[in-house]
Amino acid sequence: MTDKDPRTSGAGTRHRPVAADARPGSRANTRASSWASGWARAWGAVVNALAAFGTALIAGLMLLICADIVARNGMGASLPLVSELGALLLVMIVCLQFGATIRADRLARAGLFLDPLRQRRPRISAALEAVFSLVGAVMIGLMAWATFGVLTTDWERREFIGTPGLGTLPTWPFRLFILLGLTVAAVEFAVRSVRSLRSAAGFSEVTR
Amino acid sequence: MTPLEIGYYAVGGLLVLIYLGMPIGIGMLGVSFLGVSLIRNDAVALRMLGAAGNDSLREYLYAVVPLFVLMGLLVTVSNVGKDTFDVFQRLLRRVMAGLGIATVFANAVFASITGISIASATVFSRVAVPEMTRHGYSKRFATGVVAGSSVLGMMIPPSLLMIVYAVLAEESVGRMFLAGIGPGLLLALVFSLTILLLASRRKALVYETPDDEVAFEDFSALDLLRKAVPILALMLVVLGGLYGGFLNPTEAGAAGAAGALVIALLRRALPVRTLWKLMVETGQITVSVLFLILAATFFSRMLALSGVPRELAALFLDSSIGPYGFLLVYLVLIVLLGCLIDSISIMLIVLPIALPVAEAAGFDLIWFGVLTVVAVEMGLLTPPFGLSVYTIKSAIDDPDLSVGDIFRGAFPFVLAMVVALAILIAFPSISTWLARL
Amino acid sequence: QETISLTVASSHPTVIPWVGMIQTHFMARTDEILAEAGEYEINWNEAFGGQLYKANATLDSVEQGITDIGWVFSMLEPAKLPMSQASSYAPFTTADAALQLEVMEELFETNEAFREEWEQYNLKVLGFTGTDSYDVYTSEPISGFADLDGMKLSAPGVLGNWLRGTGANAVDGSLTSFYTDIQTGVSDGVLSLALGVLPAKIYEVAPHVTKVDMGVAFSGAIAINRDSWDMLPEPVQEAMVEAGAYYTEAHGRDLNERHAAALEKMVEAGADQGAPVEITPMSEADREAWVNAMPNIAKEWADGLEERGMPARAFMKAYIDGVRARGGEPVRAWDDEL
Ligand code: NA
Ligand code: NA
Repeated sequence: MTDKDPRTSGAGTRHRPVAADARPGSRANTRASSWASGWARAWGAVVNALAAFGTALIAGLMLLICADIVARNGMGASLPLVSELGALLLVMIVCLQFGATIRADRLARAGLFLDPLRQRRPRISAALEAVFSLVGAVMIGLMAWATFGVLTTDWERREFIGTPGLGTLPTWPFRLFILLGLTVAAVEFAVRSVRSLRSAAGFSEVTR
Repeated sequence: MTPLEIGYYAVGGLLVLIYLGMPIGIGMLGVSFLGVSLIRNDAVALRMLGAAGNDSLREYLYAVVPLFVLMGLLVTVSNVGKDTFDVFQRLLRRVMAGLGIATVFANAVFASITGISIASATVFSRVAVPEMTRHGYSKRFATGVVAGSSVLGMMIPPSLLMIVYAVLAEESVGRMFLAGIGPGLLLALVFSLTILLLASRRKALVYETPDDEVAFEDFSALDLLRKAVPILALMLVVLGGLYGGFLNPTEAGAAGAAGALVIALLRRALPVRTLWKLMVETGQITVSVLFLILAATFFSRMLALSGVPRELAALFLDSSIGPYGFLLVYLVLIVLLGCLIDSISIMLIVLPIALPVAEAAGFDLIWFGVLTVVAVEMGLLTPPFGLSVYTIKSAIDDPDLSVGDIFRGAFPFVLAMVVALAILIAFPSISTWLARL
Repeated sequence: QETISLTVASSHPTVIPWVGMIQTHFMARTDEILAEAGEYEINWNEAFGGQLYKANATLDSVEQGITDIGWVFSMLEPAKLPMSQASSYAPFTTADAALQLEVMEELFETNEAFREEWEQYNLKVLGFTGTDSYDVYTSEPISGFADLDGMKLSAPGVLGNWLRGTGANAVDGSLTSFYTDIQTGVSDGVLSLALGVLPAKIYEVAPHVTKVDMGVAFSGAIAINRDSWDMLPEPVQEAMVEAGAYYTEAHGRDLNERHAAALEKMVEAGADQGAPVEITPMSEADREAWVNAMPNIAKEWADGLEERGMPARAFMKAYIDGVRARGGEPVRAWDDEL
């Protein structure tokens, strides 16, 4: 998931890491870091699992729409719910893959100021990165918090898509996944912030 | 502070944050949240943030984004681009600088099945550049041609930029797609003339070795046909479906992606690992685009509450510079922003402010959209941040070729785009007649 | 003189008649009344046309105070405003928009469950909106109800219910897709509103208009956020209530006039095309045959809501009685079968 093949890069500016992984430390340091890296791996697995689910949903979305085309042009009747379901699925897909996209540093940003700064004053640039990631964690965290409100009202009011009498689906399961995706994304920002902060404090090298 | 002042501070603050390197979407969410908190209150700001996350992307139309991206990546791995180039190379071998012109037209055709410029840049830097250098063209010129013509990927439909514009301007995506065809062909023509001009006047710039005696690969008519079939089939599905009225844009994306998948499978270009990487890539490009749209939605709602767009419209249209002065300022601003940030971010930052002004000025919003896309696409080629150029650099990975070389090679095409932009401003019907048919 | 700032917004642009009338009737009338007294003045911050929220959030946005005043599109809120869907489950009840809006206005005063359904969302309703009447527009002429059997008709959402029992298949779509859907044979025609068909030029591909007069539907309300309302001085509140009633009445009358005018304009604009537009009224016998062929959708609807403890049966009865009391003649007595 952290694959950064620049040949098919996205909308964002790309950057390569300035240095490799954290430098080797003392024995105690190593034990502590292996404990930490265990957690880091586990967290990475969570982020990747959500993204994989989102990825599968893109394929599902494609098949759903193709099935609708076939049904409409072949049998003269559209499948129920497709457009409303497709719209809600899309929101879900974006939120599920949000964490992995942050992790791969694929959000659009300008490197004009930051890239040269990282070369000259790596620790200052890391401090700046920590602030950016913190703002990200706060904003996406607030969005997740607001989504929790949306989820509970959708649950209480039995919100649904579709038309009564012709087919309906409750919206709360979708909201639940949206909430899950946003929460993971917020935590991923927080993790990045801590990592940058450590680099800024000189505990590890600036890797971005 | 009045709401108006808050709005202006938010715009200024956003620009500073973007310059410093904050992820653009996060910056938009941040200033918008603060802005609404000050204009109304925290509770409303929080609810609007939640609405942006939950409802702003909840449109069937947005499903086109992952679908067209997936399709673009699939045709990239299955060599459809190389085949297209081979066909044009065979057809244009006797023309002066024929390979350059073949690259332009192969790009124009390839553009009709991909919605993202970076797909074009990736494919043709691997296909056209080696062939051109083998025939004695300079690397700088060869990569410049590829960079320049990759712009066509977003002009000729389908196009991610046109979709984004259509969404923001509430124009029909189908019409915006139609609007891109004329200007796309115009650009291809202007690029070809640029190549001819350079080949006849600035030979040293174009050729490394003056006499091309290397043999061309030969293809039989049957080979050419075999190479042309997949791309023609995809064009039929996507453009035929769209303009025949069988498919809406979302469905055209799904059918195109499915078709590209079939082609890739038939050509055995899709080992499971490649397919997975490609799906992951699709997901990440989708998120980076749609998260920007999400954030920009909140940003433009905050602006609507502040009253800034209305105030700016009044300011520009009542002042002495008038509608065309506004247009000029707007286009220059876009080209400047294009030096720093990517295409979609530019549109999402500028359009919420500019569209109300353009509407009040009585501009045809389809024409305005075409001008916007051409100006935005110049940013793909301008330093220091030019996405096409960086894509080509990493696709070729040749230590002798610096990023600066590619920027210099692409510069004539930036000038060509300025000329094309002037023609499009002077003759709006190039953009509108198909769309308004 | 005191100036009060208020945001007024909508998901739809002002070219939509009832959105435009928020400016020309509701806001203008409020300003006029306040100007007479000269005590207060409103500084309107207009955010029409989806600047603040889209059609999928018209109720939430007023409830949450994202806008002070907005048009709530109740047809898209079947989960939150279930009782307000009544008219959509009782077609062939009345084709008179003004009459229906009068009934809804009265029910809002007299039916507590209906009022509560709206007011639980932290808002105050000021005026009501509806649609004009639904008819059938087809590419080939139809001679009567029996011809519907086996046809594919574009009828998205709740309208699909109106085709049940007729033998016609409902095709999904939207006002923007109907034209090409009919042109390419995805559907044979559309069940739609004259006010939608005219601007979308659907009569060009579906020139055979069968005037079924299936009836008008309640579509929503102009509402103000309750917190914003509570902060308004009394004279302003009074002015808005009066302006809201004026808006509702003017809108009902306007819908009826526009419906007739739109049909006329179609005939005029479509006179020179290959197959000229022609309007054929459906016979009373066929209208009866249609509505009686349908399953009892009013009962299905009411049963579903009664199960959840909502007095939907009484509300449906009150609605249809209200129509009768004003001289309307429902083709099917949905209320007798509940
Ligand atoms: Na394209
Ligand atoms: Na640039």
